[in-house]
Amino acid sequence: MKTNKLRFIVFLLMLSMVAVACGGGTAEEAEEAPATTEAPQETLAAPATTAPPPEVIVVWAEEKVAVALEPLVGAYEAAAGVDVEVVVYDFGAIRTDVQTAGPAGEGPDVFLGAHDWVGELAANGVLAPVNIGSIASDLFDVGIAGFSYGGMTYGVPYATEAIAMYYNADLVDGVPASWDDVKAACEAAGTELCVGAPGGGGGADAYHNHPFVASAGGYVFKVEGGFDPNDVGLDNEGALASAEYLDTLVKEGVVASTDYGGSMSAFQEGRSLFWMTGPWARNDASAVNYGVGLIPAFGDSPATPFVGVRGAMVSSFSEKRLLAESFILDFFVTVEVQEAMYNSDPRLPATKSLFAIVEAADPIAAQFAASAANGIPMPNIPEMGSVWGPFGDALLIIRDQAYGTNEETGVTVNSASDAMKLAAEQVRTAIAGG
Amino acid sequence: MKTSTIFRYILLAVFNAGVFYAIPLSIAFEAWFLLSLIILNAFLVNIVYLTDRFKPMKWILPGMIFMISFVVFPAIYNTYVSFTNWSTGHILNKTQAIKVLEDRTFTPEDQKDILFDLYVLQDQNLQFYFFADLDENNMFFGKAVTDEDIITASFATHEPSLKKNGELSIPDGFYLLSGKEQIANADALQDLSLVIDSKTRAKLFKISVFGASTGSLSSTSQLYTYDSTNDALINNSTNTICPAVDDNFECNGKEIDPGWRIYVGSENYENLFSNQRIRGPLNIVTKWTFQFAILTVIFSFFVGLLLSMILNKDNLKFQRIYRSLFILPYAIPAFVSVLVWKGLLNPDYGVINNWFAPIYEILEIEPIKWLKTKESARAAVLLVNTWLGFPYMFLITTGALQSIPKELIEAAKVDGASGIQSFWRITFPLLMVSISPLLIGSFAFNFNNFTLIFLLSGGGPPVIGSEVAVGWTDILISFTYKLAISGGRGNMFGLASTVTIVVFGIVLLISALSFRYTKRLERIYGNI
Repeated sequence: MKTNKLRFIVFLLMLSMVAVACGGGTAEEAEEAPATTEAPQETLAAPATTAPPPEVIVVWAEEKVAVALEPLVGAYEAAAGVDVEVVVYDFGAIRTDVQTAGPAGEGPDVFLGAHDWVGELAANGVLAPVNIGSIASDLFDVGIAGFSYGGMTYGVPYATEAIAMYYNADLVDGVPASWDDVKAACEAAGTELCVGAPGGGGGADAYHNHPFVASAGGYVFKVEGGFDPNDVGLDNEGALASAEYLDTLVKEGVVASTDYGGSMSAFQEGRSLFWMTGPWARNDASAVNYGVGLIPAFGDSPATPFVGVRGAMVSSFSEKRLLAESFILDFFVTVEVQEAMYNSDPRLPATKSLFAIVEAADPIAAQFAASAANGIPMPNIPEMGSVWGPFGDALLIIRDQAYGTNEETGVTVNSASDAMKLAAEQVRTAIAGG
Repeated sequence: MKTSTIFRYILLAVFNAGVFYAIPLSIAFEAWFLLSLIILNAFLVNIVYLTDRFKPMKWILPGMIFMISFVVFPAIYNTYVSFTNWSTGHILNKTQAIKVLEDRTFTPEDQKDILFDLYVLQDQNLQFYFFADLDENNMFFGKAVTDEDIITASFATHEPSLKKNGELSIPDGFYLLSGKEQIANADALQDLSLVIDSKTRAKLFKISVFGASTGSLSSTSQLYTYDSTNDALINNSTNTICPAVDDNFECNGKEIDPGWRIYVGSENYENLFSNQRIRGPLNIVTKWTFQFAILTVIFSFFVGLLLSMILNKDNLKFQRIYRSLFILPYAIPAFVSVLVWKGLLNPDYGVINNWFAPIYEILEIEPIKWLKTKESARAAVLLVNTWLGFPYMFLITTGALQSIPKELIEAAKVDGASGIQSFWRITFPLLMVSISPLLIGSFAFNFNNFTLIFLLSGGGPPVIGSEVAVGWTDILISFTYKLAISGGRGNMFGLASTVTIVVFGIVLLISALSFRYTKRLERIYGNI
């Protein structure tokens, strides 16, 4: 009997806890419910009399950028009467987590990421378009192109990144204007290697070698109001001619067979005259007295490096899209914010107003920015996933002169043209999903 | 009543509170499978712990629940995913996809770049009014309405009187909202638009707290309207009907992103086995996966056995210290030591090539390009995995060796057997009885040793000329990962799940065969 009584008490206790748990749930739902109906919202709207709790804008950003934003958002919070919650997020995880957290109702309103996510995120329906009309004149075209997908703009660029050419200032005055003059410059300087560029020495790297293929008519995907996955131009006339020219440069010893590490140590030790890489390597390059110039032109065509763009995007699952967009367009793009982010994470400016500041203070950064202005954004469509492997491998074959027949696959590659044709075919079949 | 019983009931109450918290949540997220799992678990727990009838279950149940949650559930879920089209462009469910599509608006070409100052006003009844200042001939003023009321709303009127000499003059009975006040009402404002004519409306897209807010023009109708009777999408911009085909709406044969997840039956499996493009690389990868798993087990087992035999001498000094030292590689997390190894193996700056430099010079050979060529990469993978795996083998063989009766060896010695003979004829077979299940476990583990491959070589160097991205050191599971991440367009979770199911099948088959073999061993030697 005694046991039963106690059991009953415990049961009551459980019921009460359940009630508490449910109570919490219904309270939450009650808060959410008015958002869907009309009437209560308008009562909320009384401007001066009632003070509703401030809206919260959730921003996901990687650490360096978040650190720069954190002290500045206070000014906006005060002016706008909102809370801006800057969440420090692992950069790569932002891409995957907005796709899972967004549909579950937990995602950010604004997140900062790379432009090559745009295709995947837009195809998955997690990006909302942003009207950049009011600030377009201040933005570099390459940044806008990077965030365009299917005729819409999905983000506001804040930084770009592209490779250029480092030179050893003790041995040479600058980077020659064309590749034909590079050989002469190296012979005059008498260094062991001429141009060190990643993408050889066993380490495939399509990114650094894009100018070698795409400067004179070749392209990965045709650009027409967005990248067209059905038009692969890795084996068109221009691309094949460029690849053969690269082959000549390698045979003449102008472009050395180096991977990233190899090209870096060669430049640092003064064994190579030039080093083709991006602004992130300035610390490494400072082992020698260096300067930076544009990548030499191919004939009449300026070199077109791949450009990476970073920007602010709005989640389509955000309940406060107007706020999110206002935050970006009214505050995030202001030159003070851009400069603070640049100081914390020096990439290349995406706005002309910031470029003016940077150009005066740092001519080398301006060189990189000029190189980026010639470049094209890395394709932002999801199909790009099928390109990196075959494209990098083909260039690796050329850079390492690894021609021949592969025993296990039975594929023969005897020339630079063969390598490019093979890569283009691989990309096409992969995209067809066959 | 005992305190333990009370404690048990309190714990149960806390558990149930958690369950009742989780149920509405999973309903809200439409996670029906999770919901049924929660209800099933809650039911079991309450039955078992509220009565005294299921005594043994009280001990087993927590373990069972963890097994269901962390082993059975992921496995079932994985199987489920392998029967769906889950991939880039198909991650939402149909309702979500339709909502995303219906949210889209469009602007006719000629109105695209028209931006203007937009002022937000409120009347006495707290209704919102927009004043859109396009140019001196187009100053529209009117009540802002939600999407549902657009059809019935009256058009905005041209009111040049509101702006005199560049200064706003607010009509009586209206209040002009500042940027801050607009932001406080942003939730309401983002759904409102000012209807200019039957086709055009003005919407607020940027609230400025530092100046005037900005508006833009768009069509009064949304880009897509969903027609549920025909299960089709109507494009209001071009007036085309886009029927739902499988997992996408198709406008004139062109798929509209985003699509949604559907059940595709065995399509992924057929794709995997019939696809020429995948089959070639799959052969290379499968062969190497077996070589890798078998060689790893053999190498680490014999290194471990050798060390444990050496340290098994009773009169050895500092025996414990030696043993602890050899267990060290096992104590360091694999992903730390693998990354350290990667640095050591770096052909340009790595310690290994630095140490070998004199040898290379004496033999007059090129330094080995570790991880850059097929042979060196495979050798490096095996070397590192042997280093990672031998302490485990060392541990278990040490234990097993000590359990073998000394009398047997002594008896063999008396009969005139040499040390080698007694090892191969007595010690080794007896060792295998207890160790072989662990070797099979080790094989199964290494068969799926993603961490090592991913961190050490990334699967590389690439197999040049293969039709999908694949490397010489890729094993099935890392190949799966590449397939899932870099296939056609973005992520192909469905196909990747299919490969893991196949891998699971292979491991299951091998384990079953080996266990049968082990049983035979046991029958022969188990009686000793």
